[in-house]
Amino acid sequence: MGKPKFYDFCVHAIPDGDNTAPELAALALHFGYSGITLANHSDKLPQSRHVLSSTDGFEVFKGIELVEENPSKLNGLIGKFRKSVDVLIVHGGSETVNRAALENPRVDILNHPAFDKSSGLNQVLAKAAAENGVAIGLTLRPLLNSRGSRRIRLLSDLRANLELARKYEVSLVLSSDAMSCFDLRSPMETLALAEVCGLEEDEAIDAMSTVPEKIISRNRPGPGYIREGVEVLEEGDYF
Amino acid sequence: MKRLLPSLRAKKRYLAFELISEGPASRSDLVKEVMSSASSLLGDVIASECDIKVLGFEDWKGIIQCSHTKVKETRASLAALTRINGKRATLHILGTSGTVKRVTEKFLQNPKVFEPKVETKSRTTEE
Repeated sequence: MGKPKFYDFCVHAIPDGDNTAPELAALALHFGYSGITLANHSDKLPQSRHVLSSTDGFEVFKGIELVEENPSKLNGLIGKFRKSVDVLIVHGGSETVNRAALENPRVDILNHPAFDKSSGLNQVLAKAAAENGVAIGLTLRPLLNSRGSRRIRLLSDLRANLELARKYEVSLVLSSDAMSCFDLRSPMETLALAEVCGLEEDEAIDAMSTVPEKIISRNRPGPGYIREGVEVLEEGDYF
Repeated sequence: MKRLLPSLRAKKRYLAFELISEGPASRSDLVKEVMSSASSLLGDVIASECDIKVLGFEDWKGIIQCSHTKVKETRASLAALTRINGKRATLHILGTSGTVKRVTEKFLQNPKVFEPKVETKSRTTEE
């Protein structure tokens, strides 16, 4: 086991955020990440998707964060974008959207599930998330940019979700949700912050490296992939 | 006066950092923001146990001292720093060590660590 590779799975570039994708990628590389996912909100997609060259040891994944209030329209959007992106994130925020996202196995991550007076998850939804393999996204940006009572609310929601996730073995993804270069934090600092906020060290490392790797390998089948559970590992004469 | 033996001194960790910021920042601004972010995130009691001190800061790089048992908390409170002087800023920790000499040699004199391209780029786009 070498050093784990860290990924930041939710970064917003222009026109959603303030900085361009190459700037964010350069800074993430400087901070020691092995990859980031550009996941603009679906209502603020760039006009043209330019392909980013991946350098050695650093990859930029294509992602999207779907924003939709109506669950049936959300399912339509999921079907529309699923094929073209590596990481599909749903921007939660109401009971119906959270439920629609967690009950759909084609969704990878649910971000910001919290609404009104609830942390966004409950026993039923957590179970659904575990069954469908949808990860819960923990985002840094709101934690960093708020103080006092708002941050206390966010932290107690995080703790409530964490407890449910531990009980039902839901996977977690820790991401920055960065809108600009200044929202990015290096992996070690993100880990320290997560540990101070209540995660265990191995949970935090899993949420930044193992779970993202799983999501990518699930969505980028290898050349020998036939269907779920069936894969040709080595070409050759079998008969 | 006899000097205290090294083994009897309080153990410290020294964190080398670089600051990435939109605008200029002085040492006193930095100290103020570091302290307020630590007391906001950790509370005054734990922040006092961390024993955070900004030892030096110039040319966007510097050293912060903390208690050797509270490195994690210190890192977290430095990560929680978002603004200096009302300008957006990020503290990036380059590395930690047990002596000032070592941390300077290892992280602050190596030109490879410093990457002005990203900084100037991010700064100019914000202006």
